[in-house]
Amino acid sequence: MPALIKIDRVSKIFGEGETKTIALRDISLEIHKGEFVAVMGPSGSGKSTLLHILGFLDSVSEGSYVFEGKDISAYTPDAVARIRNERLGFVFQAFNLLSRTSVLQNVLLPLRYSSVPEQEWHERAISAIKSVDLFHRLNAEPSTLSGGEKQRAAIARALVNNPSVIFADEPTGNLDSKSGQIVMEIIRRLNDEGHTVILITHETYTAENAKRIIRLKDGVIESDTQVAQRASLEKFSK
Amino acid sequence: MKLKQTIETALAGLRSNRSRSALTILGIVIGITAIMLVMSLGAGAQELVLDQIQGLGTKTIVVIPGREPKGPSDFANVFLDSLKIRDVESLQSKSNVPFAADIMPVIFGTAQSSYGTKTYQTTVLGGGSAESNNIIADIFDIFPSQGSFFDTEDVKASADVAVIGNKVREELFDSVDNPIGQRIKIKGRNFKVIGVLSEKGQVSFFNFDEMVLVPYTSAQTHLFGRKYFDRIIISASDEDKIVQTVADIKDTLRENHSISNPDDDDFFIQTQVDLAARLSTITTSLTWFLIAMASIALFVGGIGIMNIMLVSVTERTREIGLRKAIGATDRDILTQFLLEAVFLTAIGGMIGILLGTGLSFIISLGLSAGLGLNWKFVFPFSGAALGIFVSSLVGLVFGGYPARQASKKSPIEALRYE
Repeated sequence: MPALIKIDRVSKIFGEGETKTIALRDISLEIHKGEFVAVMGPSGSGKSTLLHILGFLDSVSEGSYVFEGKDISAYTPDAVARIRNERLGFVFQAFNLLSRTSVLQNVLLPLRYSSVPEQEWHERAISAIKSVDLFHRLNAEPSTLSGGEKQRAAIARALVNNPSVIFADEPTGNLDSKSGQIVMEIIRRLNDEGHTVILITHETYTAENAKRIIRLKDGVIESDTQVAQRASLEKFSK
Repeated sequence: MKLKQTIETALAGLRSNRSRSALTILGIVIGITAIMLVMSLGAGAQELVLDQIQGLGTKTIVVIPGREPKGPSDFANVFLDSLKIRDVESLQSKSNVPFAADIMPVIFGTAQSSYGTKTYQTTVLGGGSAESNNIIADIFDIFPSQGSFFDTEDVKASADVAVIGNKVREELFDSVDNPIGQRIKIKGRNFKVIGVLSEKGQVSFFNFDEMVLVPYTSAQTHLFGRKYFDRIIISASDEDKIVQTVADIKDTLRENHSISNPDDDDFFIQTQVDLAARLSTITTSLTWFLIAMASIALFVGGIGIMNIMLVSVTERTREIGLRKAIGATDRDILTQFLLEAVFLTAIGGMIGILLGTGLSFIISLGLSAGLGLNWKFVFPFSGAALGIFVSSLVGLVFGGYPARQASKKSPIEALRYE
């Protein structure tokens, strides 16, 4: 079975001359459908850059990226936008919900940019909101939500177009450990349901939810290991 | 994203910033209000002026003594005594001016009129004709409600008879049922009232309500003591004959006055058509001048829109980044911000149209009631259309740059923005 994501000798270079920074050097990597990959590394290791490239938010400087069997250099900007909309879901550390906009409207947002028929929107959004157990806050605005609720709303938004890959960039970074645990439970469940998950974190106990851990340092892959023993969920509540 | 969705998104964006949106469109509101006001009042002024002129009839030709004023400082105060009875007689000759239907010399001045103990400051107009009985009614389209006009015999005899305006009757005869046959004193001389005009208001800058009409012969000899006329009013037999008649009048008068070079004319001629065209040119150019001024307000308003939109784009960088991350194309973002700007300005334009219409309606009422003008409120449809068009255009033009800035933001830069 071909890889869902395949990058080959990818480098990412920012700036020129004296300010030139190499964020990623010659990275090659394959991720298959249904995997749960945690990308770890200290700040400046290039893990965010890697996520941006894999998530179609940034381009490579060198090397190739094949997504679902097709090289992304072949995609037009509009096609890239469509992939972000239909195939990918993003969960950010800072939630990035639209303020003064209800949970329902926030979750509806990706549908507005999609080709999904309008009559299906409401049902889909409600089902996504129910799956993160936030139905009781349907019409609440983000400013009235707790951090955990905000992140659950953001996950519902990432889910609503039923993406094949969910990218989570430090999803528990702004949460207390209890809320973080709930969020990780949801993400694990999504993976169990068949979504591929790529998680960025610097916390080992968060990374241990994954089935595979990739460690980055100075833009290169330091290690890439399958997790033999996944963290039990109780480990969070230490 | 479908257009309907983009429209909803843009409106939601405006709604979440109500007070800022309101302040932003203030410049546009003021600009469009000014344009509406200017166009409405300009059209009202034009109607008023045309109304006045047309009171005299379009076939009317007016001969005025003196040299035609060529500029604002040229008061044409020479040859004011150039039009004499001999000229009137020459013009009456069909061999000189074949297409003149009516010819009436006019002399006017102000004089105090009194009846018993009551006095009133009136305009005395000496007119009539030694040849035609109904000439005043024909030319000014006014009729006595009581009594009648003086006839050719009265003119020939320099009779002391007067036809008084409605206001004059009210002032002098408020306790008298029928003023016909009563004697009023004008400049100390007794005149018999033989007619009262129905209420008429302004006709071509003459307010007949405040006027006393007497035969021009009596006005010349008994009231003003001069042999010349202030105007000779001629009506052409047909509108087609106006040009021909004007030329005939000029030839006749030049011959009478021994003038060979037209530059030496001691009279000039105004036709009502000329006058209407000239005044209409003046009001139109004035209107456009004021619109140009209002456009500056719109321009400044547009810059205000651009400024606020740029602030808004910067402030909403994260929103833009997020929208891109979940699938918005550059075009979606561009359209969203462009529509926000256009909605803002179009709403501003509509408010301006309502405000401008309301204000000009109030001013029209004020002009009618306060100044007693026959001012009609005019709703300038072209102004309203222009207002909507221009305000939307301002949104497109001044919203274009910020919207472009927004659409070009890279999603990661935008998401990283704090």
